[in-house]
Amino acid sequence: MSGAGLQIKGVDKFYGPVDYGVHAVKKLSMTIEKGEIIALLGSSGCGKTSTLRMIAGFEAVSRGQISLAGREVHTFAPVKRNVAMAFEGYSLYPPLTVRENIAFALKASRLPQNVVDEKVAYIAKLLEIEDILGRYPSSISGGQQQRASLGRALIRDADLHLLDEPMGQLEPQLRAVLRGRIKHYIKEKGLTAILVTHDQTEANALADRIAVMEGGVLQQFDTPQMIKERPANLFTGTFVGEPPMNVFDATVTVGADTAVFGLNEGVRLEYAVSDFSPAVLSELGNRKKVSLGIRPYAVRRAEGGVPAKVSVSQWLGDQTHIAADFAGGTMVLVEHDRVRLGLGDTIALKLDPHSLHVFDGETGVAVSHGPELA
Amino acid sequence: MTTLQLENIVKRYKNHTVLDNLSLDVKDGETLVLFGPSGAGKTVLLRLVAGVIDPEEGRILIGGADMTDVDAEHRGIGMAFQNFALFPHMDAFENIATPLEAKRSSADAIKAGVHRVAKLLKIDHVLTHQPKALSNGQKQRTALARALAGSPPLLLLDDPLRNVDAKLRFEMRLELPRVLAAQGATVVYVTQDYKEAMALGDRIAVISDGRIRQIGTPEDIYNAPADIDIARLFGDPTINLLDVTPNAEADGVSVLLSDVRIALPGIPANAAGKACVLGLRPETLRFVPAGTPGAIPVTVEAETPLNEKTVTLALTVRSREILVSRPAGTPGPASGSAHIAVDGANAFLFDKETGALIARHGSHTGTQGEAA
Repeated sequence: MSGAGLQIKGVDKFYGPVDYGVHAVKKLSMTIEKGEIIALLGSSGCGKTSTLRMIAGFEAVSRGQISLAGREVHTFAPVKRNVAMAFEGYSLYPPLTVRENIAFALKASRLPQNVVDEKVAYIAKLLEIEDILGRYPSSISGGQQQRASLGRALIRDADLHLLDEPMGQLEPQLRAVLRGRIKHYIKEKGLTAILVTHDQTEANALADRIAVMEGGVLQQFDTPQMIKERPANLFTGTFVGEPPMNVFDATVTVGADTAVFGLNEGVRLEYAVSDFSPAVLSELGNRKKVSLGIRPYAVRRAEGGVPAKVSVSQWLGDQTHIAADFAGGTMVLVEHDRVRLGLGDTIALKLDPHSLHVFDGETGVAVSHGPELA
Repeated sequence: MTTLQLENIVKRYKNHTVLDNLSLDVKDGETLVLFGPSGAGKTVLLRLVAGVIDPEEGRILIGGADMTDVDAEHRGIGMAFQNFALFPHMDAFENIATPLEAKRSSADAIKAGVHRVAKLLKIDHVLTHQPKALSNGQKQRTALARALAGSPPLLLLDDPLRNVDAKLRFEMRLELPRVLAAQGATVVYVTQDYKEAMALGDRIAVISDGRIRQIGTPEDIYNAPADIDIARLFGDPTINLLDVTPNAEADGVSVLLSDVRIALPGIPANAAGKACVLGLRPETLRFVPAGTPGAIPVTVEAETPLNEKTVTLALTVRSREILVSRPAGTPGPASGSAHIAVDGANAFLFDKETGALIARHGSHTGTQGEAA
């Protein structure tokens, strides 16, 4: 099965001499199954674009192999790889109309004209560009150009679809419905797709699995849910999720009956040792300093909790975001109802042991998630 | 603090009317958000208040005094822009100090003033840095600090979070209310982000084509958008809009969705037979078991998680698209057939021709956003 998808094996990318130049991608290995939607997620300079360009064939691999649909492709010219692309810089052909641009992608397939027309009409409806099919790229908005470029990629039958920041320019009012339609289309056609993005919201919405990159290194490659529930380190924990995870420096003291996290300003979070597995207790006991993380939606307001002073409560229509002064920092909570709290109100916060993420204070590597070892 | 009144402002560029007889009242100590698409006239409005440009017609009153013909530097206004606009040859301290220098404050007063706002904006550790040595977030905080430093009674903020990344924007959105409250200024805040508008505005003025389309609290606007365009601008995912022709009922009207009747209590009977648009906020829809009375059969097309929500794209039996949003982690179907419940009391009905919201009779006000 995996042979039919994309395999990246031990790939390095150096700009300049191998081993001495800028090491943009470091020993990257990942396997993408046929029919999967993958997001390569990271901020600028993380190595995601270099990876994309090596898969597409615009950039040579310095070391390692890339195979697609059972063929080793990393030495092939881009056109020989059977990869469809929608790139930010891979712009539409200016002398062609939007319709011609999209249909052009089908040229090699030598389909009868009526089939081409049908396919173009279908994808144009899906992307809401039916009324601009006769226009030239220079006369349409950035969002429309992006949709036309997506259409040109998605209409093709290819072993892999590479979509670079595919929705960054899209009108916000169209985003949710287009995400749904595109995901449905890719799944229905059984396409294999990699989207490259800096936007964790986009990655979460579309991808079956997310590859988080930073400093040229693959940090974690897992489902959106697993990345949220079991982030591999502090970087992925705080990068994925909006609002971001709350993080506080803490000391740990494991006693006979209790495990106590000591935060700034004398805040003590005391748990029974039975809240954690023996392995977690032993790992915690070995550490003096940790970073304690908790997701905004997991923070509960409950009697007997640690008092915190509300600094802001913002209702956004379907969620309330609350920030409160806590342990010398800010604790952010998300609630799905309207919450009426004012500046200076005191709330009591409970951090349930099963919602705690503990990271090593030095390396940031995850130690435990809830009661289990990371 | 102060008040700001705009009276019948007209601003034209050549033949193009940018602001069309616009009037606006900003109360003492209020944060008023100007919200609308680019090209709506928000920035022009701000520049008129600042005194950088002049209106063709109308008056601008600050604290009750007519400022229409007063020079910019004598209007007592602090401003911050989306592109930061820091002086590159001055360090952060000197940048922040400029409004205090202009007021000819003493050296001690300048030092105290800069440190006060720098502390408020958490940049007291980078005051000796040149702008190029500051991160984007620090630049933006420095620009804000400069706007605040002179303690202007009126503060104009032109999309100050536009050019910072999502995480910083979120962080600042949470922090700004405290900063602004500490400052005690009256604030006019321009943004294109509805979340910022709802989070920061005591009131929001929705502006497009040089006119104010609706002005009110975030609740007023989210729960009773004046027209379809405004309903579409607030909310993520965007409100569902479905063409319907209501039928007359004993109490109000009803509409059909997947051939299931949905009662819309309180809608005037004369809406029956008219071309209308049904507005359903995605978070007011719920998945329910088959057989639930009034449940609407749908087919799930795709599930797309969105910031602690799960958004589902579904199709009615007539192949109309509906987005349903629920808190992440709550159960719902990922594919196949499903049923959704629509509470007619939470639905909006718009006149298709004019786009205007069709108001309900008094007792049937929806409980948008209050729904559990």
